[in-house]
Amino acid sequence: MKGYRRYFLNKALWFLVTLVCAFILNFFLPRLMPGDPVAAIVARMAQGMSNATGVQAIYQQYTELFGTNKPLLQQFFIYVNNVLHGNFGFSFSFYPRTVASVIKSSIWWTICLQFPAIIVGWLIGNTLGALAAYRKKGFDKVLMPVSIFVSNFPAFGMAVILMVVFGVGLKWFPTSGGYGFDLIPNLSWKFIWSVIVHYQLPFWSIVLIAIGMQAIGMRSMAIYELNADYVKYSRFMGIKDRKIIRYVFRNAMLPQVTGLALSIGTMVGGALVAEIIFSYPGLGYTMLNAIMGGDYPLISATTLIVTLMVLTTMFLIDIIYAFIDPRIKAAQFD
Amino acid sequence: MFANKKWMSLFTLVIIASIGLLVCAAPTSVTTLPRNETLYSNGQQWGPVVGWNPYSSSMNNAMAVTQQDSARVIMFETPYLYNMVDGKVYPLLADGPYTWDAGQTKITFNLKQAAYWSDGTPVTAADVAYTWDANIKYATNAGNNFKDYILSVTAVDAQMVVVKAKLDADGKALNPLMVAAYLSGNYVIQKAWTQKLEERAGGDATKFLADTAEDVVYSGPYHKFFADDTKVVYVRDDMYWGQSASMWGKLPTPKYLAHVIFKDNAAGSVALAQGEVDVSQQFNSNIQVLWLNYGLPISTYLPEAPYGIGASLPTAYYNLKSYGLDQLAVRKAIAIAVDYPTIIANAMTNQSATFDQVPRSLMNPTPGEQALYDHDAVNDLQWAGNDIEGAKKLLDDAGITDTNGDGWREYNGQKLSYVATCPNGWSDWQASIEVVAAAGKKIGIDITSNYPEWSVYQTVVTTSDAPLPAGYDILMMWSDGAGPTQPWGRIRHLLSSEFVGIANNWNGNWGQYSNPRVDELVQAIPSETDPAELKEMYTELVKIYLTDIPSFTLMYRPQSFHAVNESVWTGFPHQGDGTSPPVPPLNLTDGWSIAGLYNLTLVNP
Repeated sequence: MKGYRRYFLNKALWFLVTLVCAFILNFFLPRLMPGDPVAAIVARMAQGMSNATGVQAIYQQYTELFGTNKPLLQQFFIYVNNVLHGNFGFSFSFYPRTVASVIKSSIWWTICLQFPAIIVGWLIGNTLGALAAYRKKGFDKVLMPVSIFVSNFPAFGMAVILMVVFGVGLKWFPTSGGYGFDLIPNLSWKFIWSVIVHYQLPFWSIVLIAIGMQAIGMRSMAIYELNADYVKYSRFMGIKDRKIIRYVFRNAMLPQVTGLALSIGTMVGGALVAEIIFSYPGLGYTMLNAIMGGDYPLISATTLIVTLMVLTTMFLIDIIYAFIDPRIKAAQFD
Repeated sequence: MFANKKWMSLFTLVIIASIGLLVCAAPTSVTTLPRNETLYSNGQQWGPVVGWNPYSSSMNNAMAVTQQDSARVIMFETPYLYNMVDGKVYPLLADGPYTWDAGQTKITFNLKQAAYWSDGTPVTAADVAYTWDANIKYATNAGNNFKDYILSVTAVDAQMVVVKAKLDADGKALNPLMVAAYLSGNYVIQKAWTQKLEERAGGDATKFLADTAEDVVYSGPYHKFFADDTKVVYVRDDMYWGQSASMWGKLPTPKYLAHVIFKDNAAGSVALAQGEVDVSQQFNSNIQVLWLNYGLPISTYLPEAPYGIGASLPTAYYNLKSYGLDQLAVRKAIAIAVDYPTIIANAMTNQSATFDQVPRSLMNPTPGEQALYDHDAVNDLQWAGNDIEGAKKLLDDAGITDTNGDGWREYNGQKLSYVATCPNGWSDWQASIEVVAAAGKKIGIDITSNYPEWSVYQTVVTTSDAPLPAGYDILMMWSDGAGPTQPWGRIRHLLSSEFVGIANNWNGNWGQYSNPRVDELVQAIPSETDPAELKEMYTELVKIYLTDIPSFTLMYRPQSFHAVNESVWTGFPHQGDGTSPPVPPLNLTDGWSIAGLYNLTLVNP
């Protein structure tokens, strides 16, 4: 048990060090981008203004309000203090909305689109990959080329094809929005059905690509495992195929699980392509705008969430691995 | 194995939980917007609405809170409505036309007796005066924009308002155009509600302008119904004062105005084609395809190209400090060599008049502005483009030739090499810049293109207190559209040297041109009332502009794009639709175009 404690402490320490470094980078990197975000706000405000001193007044008012006229280090300490109090401040590009309110209004859309898509893509992809490795022959010959073809599709290409074929052409699914253009959110079957129908194209545009990628990875791992010595030995021992396959796929699954954890960790970054093509609400497009507009507080907050989620999932995976496969823990201290 | 029951249950659970979360995240209230009571727009609202505060410019509430030359008046109202088609203003809250006093020092107008707020109290002159005072006190955009020209706004009695102008040395209004423009471009906001807001903000200007004003009192025909990340919906106020005979005599036809928030033009265009949008303000590439090829009931203000009325002049500015661009021959050669028909065909998909149809000047293509200068007097200065031989001859005559045989011309031994630029992602502008670069190559001037991100571009271009840096030799920016101060405002922004030396110059003259005669004329025009004199002054300005060429217009662009789908509603403004005064193609929200909301009828009642 002593080995485990050392392993956990080591992992926890690295977790903290990485978090602090990421936090500092999250603050400074966006601010090193060229461009002046306050100028963008002034651009919005000054539309139709013909008075030069008036524009100057607005500019000064906002540099003061957002503190961008202060030295960077001072801004950092103010930021640290605010974050410790749970305050991410105002979003520059959505002012006077706070960062928290911007994230809150779109994060659910992102999670609800991304999480099931990641899980479904992972499950179907791995199942198909495993079947291809096990059954071989016709199944493998058809599945593999299809998987390679689909997984190499650029995300926007897949989204546009789905939209043109199933939305514009066949009219099976709506082409844009999170729910019916003529609906107001409410707890009715009509609304829920509308959400489900609007969900389909963005969802499958992510899932189809994920399936192909997962299937390819799983197939390679499974083929490698199927040829391993323990499989041959098990066969000599007369162990049933069904049981052997379970061993095989548990072992083949390890790298896939790491990939899954990473995908879940970064899902808050949003499904940018699906959001844009299908005008689907979510954080991806919000983040893109934040980056384009130099919205430092919003960039820092969203990247901090992504960082925290990735670090946490990786930490948990590390911990779980230590139990699942003690060789990993042992390898760390060799 | 993997596809066993356990996995299937987990999968189903995940899907159900996700949808459940989504539904729970959304507020619960009302249900469906009846299609035959709802008018759908696109192209106005980008990103979610922030709030409803009419004093603030941060509400990102495009349909309800937009004070401009043709202010959007569905929720808050202005004393007058500007009509870009005939260039006149028409009373809204005001009763009859405004009058200047003999000495041109103040404007007087009355408010309609019938006008009242959404809380039932009358709209009074005290509201108008208090709005101005608040604009100044809290340094709103309206205050900042007009404080140099307006001294005070006072209430004489419940109905009469006096707007005193700031005076020049001769005792006349410093800028009568701007004083009058305040009346059609800025809202009247209720005094009592403003006081409530002030109390809430505790006198803090930042809090005052950041308040989202969910409790705001308004006088317009629509107000908030619903807003989230995907759409904003306004509902008609059936108690709206404007149904009085002294104004519209009835309520606007649609009960709801809805705007779905699209992420880009492509999504909006698909929705327009599918009949989910009735009025489209966005750029729909090759709009004519929708009715010519697909037979959809979609139309524009004009049945043929350019489909709309051009109002603004997207312009390429020369950085006059760049090596060689201080030479007129170089500036003129590039400008006359550009293939404008290609720009108009490719970048605008012919949604702009050509320079053969509307020869270049400083005026937009509206008949009102075109009549303001003497066309014959500047005829020999105007060019339609694609004049490669003329450009080469001009450069040869100026001694700007290729002296070392490398294929590029030199000026005083130094190669003429420039970067033409505009923001990245502004596809129609980028297409235009490519055509400018191509023109340079045809005449032996090396022009390359570069597209910085908007966040960088705007910072550089608007820094007019220093010379523009390398990489900004020819840069594209906008010019003013149609409005009560035009074309004076546009000319000022294109040419006036008052913007040179400004640290945050969002006004214009980004190439930093300076000409004392231009400044003199720009200062004199607002006070000039004699039409003949005005025409002479404008003609002189056009002559100077086409002679000095500090910048050049690349295309004409409408005030706002305007395409309509008549699957559900009909009666939209079209040229020659018989409306009097004519309803402008401004999406039934801006200035006098709101009159169009009263003309709509259902295709299938």
